[in-house]
Amino acid sequence: MDIIASKLFFTGIDIGSTMSKAAVVDAEGVMLGYVIGPTGAEHRRRANMVMEDVLAKCGVSLDEIAYIISTGYGRVNVPFADKQVTELTCHARGVAALFPDVRTAIDIGGQDAKVLKIKNGKLVDFLTNDKCAAGTGRFLEVAAETLGLELNEMGRISLQSDTPVKINSLCTIFAQQEIIASLSEGKPLPDILAGVYIAIATRVVKLARQLKVEPPVVFTGGVAKNGGMVKAIEAVLGMPVSVPPEPLITGCLGAAILARDEAFKLINRGEYKLQKKQLSEAYIEFTEKTR
Amino acid sequence: MSDSVAPAKTEQKRAINRLKSMYPLRNLVAQDYINTLQASNEGKPTVWAMLNYWEGDLPLKAMGLNIVYPENYSTLMASSGTAEPFLDASDSDGFPTHMCGYGRSTIGYSFRMMKQNDGKIPPEAPMGGMAKPTLLLGSGIICDARFKWFQALSRYFDAPEWCLEMPMMGTFEGTEPDLEEYQVKFLVRELRDFIAFLEKLLGKKMDWAKLEELIEVGIKIHETCWQIHELRKVSPCPMHSTDFWSSMPPALFFAGDMYEALKCYQDMLTEVQERVKNKVAAINYPEKYRIVFAELPPWHSLKFFDNLAEMGWNFVYESYGYHNPRPPDLSKVSDPVEKLARLSRNFVFNVHPYAKADGIENPIVETYLRIAKGWKADGLFLHPLISCRAASAGLRSVQDQLQKRLDVPTLWVEGDIIDKRVFNPQETLARAEAFEQTMEHYRKVRKSRGLDW
Repeated sequence: MDIIASKLFFTGIDIGSTMSKAAVVDAEGVMLGYVIGPTGAEHRRRANMVMEDVLAKCGVSLDEIAYIISTGYGRVNVPFADKQVTELTCHARGVAALFPDVRTAIDIGGQDAKVLKIKNGKLVDFLTNDKCAAGTGRFLEVAAETLGLELNEMGRISLQSDTPVKINSLCTIFAQQEIIASLSEGKPLPDILAGVYIAIATRVVKLARQLKVEPPVVFTGGVAKNGGMVKAIEAVLGMPVSVPPEPLITGCLGAAILARDEAFKLINRGEYKLQKKQLSEAYIEFTEKTR
Repeated sequence: MSDSVAPAKTEQKRAINRLKSMYPLRNLVAQDYINTLQASNEGKPTVWAMLNYWEGDLPLKAMGLNIVYPENYSTLMASSGTAEPFLDASDSDGFPTHMCGYGRSTIGYSFRMMKQNDGKIPPEAPMGGMAKPTLLLGSGIICDARFKWFQALSRYFDAPEWCLEMPMMGTFEGTEPDLEEYQVKFLVRELRDFIAFLEKLLGKKMDWAKLEELIEVGIKIHETCWQIHELRKVSPCPMHSTDFWSSMPPALFFAGDMYEALKCYQDMLTEVQERVKNKVAAINYPEKYRIVFAELPPWHSLKFFDNLAEMGWNFVYESYGYHNPRPPDLSKVSDPVEKLARLSRNFVFNVHPYAKADGIENPIVETYLRIAKGWKADGLFLHPLISCRAASAGLRSVQDQLQKRLDVPTLWVEGDIIDKRVFNPQETLARAEAFEQTMEHYRKVRKSRGLDW
């Protein structure tokens, strides 16, 4: 396996609604590196860019990549992917790779929120938000725009709050009006921000409770980078949550690990198609070793 | 020209293997719209009737009236992609957007006809449109939105509306032994009043022999349908939900010529029996997952089920509210009105005794537990509607109890029956893909519990 590990690599690409991510793993499933960048309007161009970037970062050439899985909203726009897999499956796999005992994962992205129940590393149930941005990162963006803040400074400010403002509206637009009303009433900024986080957390935890939350709970997605949001989720949920060092990459990491599994399945069945030169050598070594 | 194009179309592999016997049943309903337009042109009375679980349909038919069903017409609007302008027309006349899609689309139709088109059928209406009604028959069953909707329609047309009542569904009190006979008496009284009203309105007497005959044909239709759907328990399932939805109006409303409908359903039974014998599936892909659909379908996106069929999803049962139960033995009941009353009441209370025995408080939950077990469901596709409390409120309990009692998981997809703007097929497909992993997991769990699917 040592010879193979140095020559076979696998990539997962997650074209999300806001950010695109890519990761490379080796034959042992160990991550070599990842990249993150904004998605923008041109999914195909973005897919090419993150692929080039991640290969450069990991020092691997495209010919050494045995299998690629794309995931996320834009997964159909990754023409060089060998397979497309839904982001729910990839997230579950990625979270389980980082936290093998995980039972519940809460993921809040730019435009959606999802709750995954995971058992033995596999997705066993899930729920996603429906037709509303109120429990997603978009809600935070609207709040940031309204308050004239950068997204990355909101969490730090909110942590200074001890009496969060109550945001009652379930609608992003109406909540924005409530934020403006709180500002005009002279409520402190940290309390308004903490109120925004609790509003999002309440909505997402309500979704999670439909699936009956079981610990350990892992919190992922771009919104999990926000310390204020982590605190709010823990407070509303009533239990601690773990956050990966980089909560944005669980989808692409899961996709890369699934790519590895898929390629090995094909290789073991003798169905892997030899198209790449360097790969052929590794493939031959692998099949000789396992024969 | 069509001859040269047709063969190329038939060569394409369709994801859902439609029953040939479904098409004549669909055509019977189309004929109703044509007949009603013709009757209206000849100055004959016409009726718009609501789904009333047969108590009103048969007296109307026995009196020789031409009937169309706005609920069915809404589904035609949605499936032909013509509903949106009518929904917008309803909104513009002040009706709320969260109201029932069937109500909104036909209120919009009536508004367009009576307020914007001098009483003529709007040119954008599919199937030639619904003729202006002489009478509206509403029903108190299912929900309050329904009879209020027909009240609104009657104001557009200045036509009388009659509302038939039915004992309340979903309550166990109605199954007490002494109440059953009280309910039958109540329904008989309702029906006699309705028949007296019809006689006065039309200036002619009820044809009692015809009514008796139609009740017998109706019972045979229901018995045949029940037999067809029992055959869907086998694997691979021979009939897809889309075939049920396309062919249900002649059993659900007794739409079309009932004698012809009975023959068509008998043909359908034969075709389904043949498929069972030859192990022919309702999808042209291996049956990977057996899915039950609850409750009202997205009529605007039925082609979406082809995408799921390509993934090996075979929809084996659906929409309990649109299925007739097996008709009770009414051979000893001589009065046709009482017979009709008992036939209709059976829809409301047929599952309650089983629910009681299983200790389940909600009869809808019992229904879906029985369906999931009987039809060996790998998963339930739940379609709650923001615009329909009646068809959606119980679905959370269905979800909970199926998971708890049978380890059958559910896919929750919000949408609407008529308004396609609130349905997201791409997102739903992404969720469906992930749901396969969930179904695989619970297959193993059920096996470990000793369940046989």
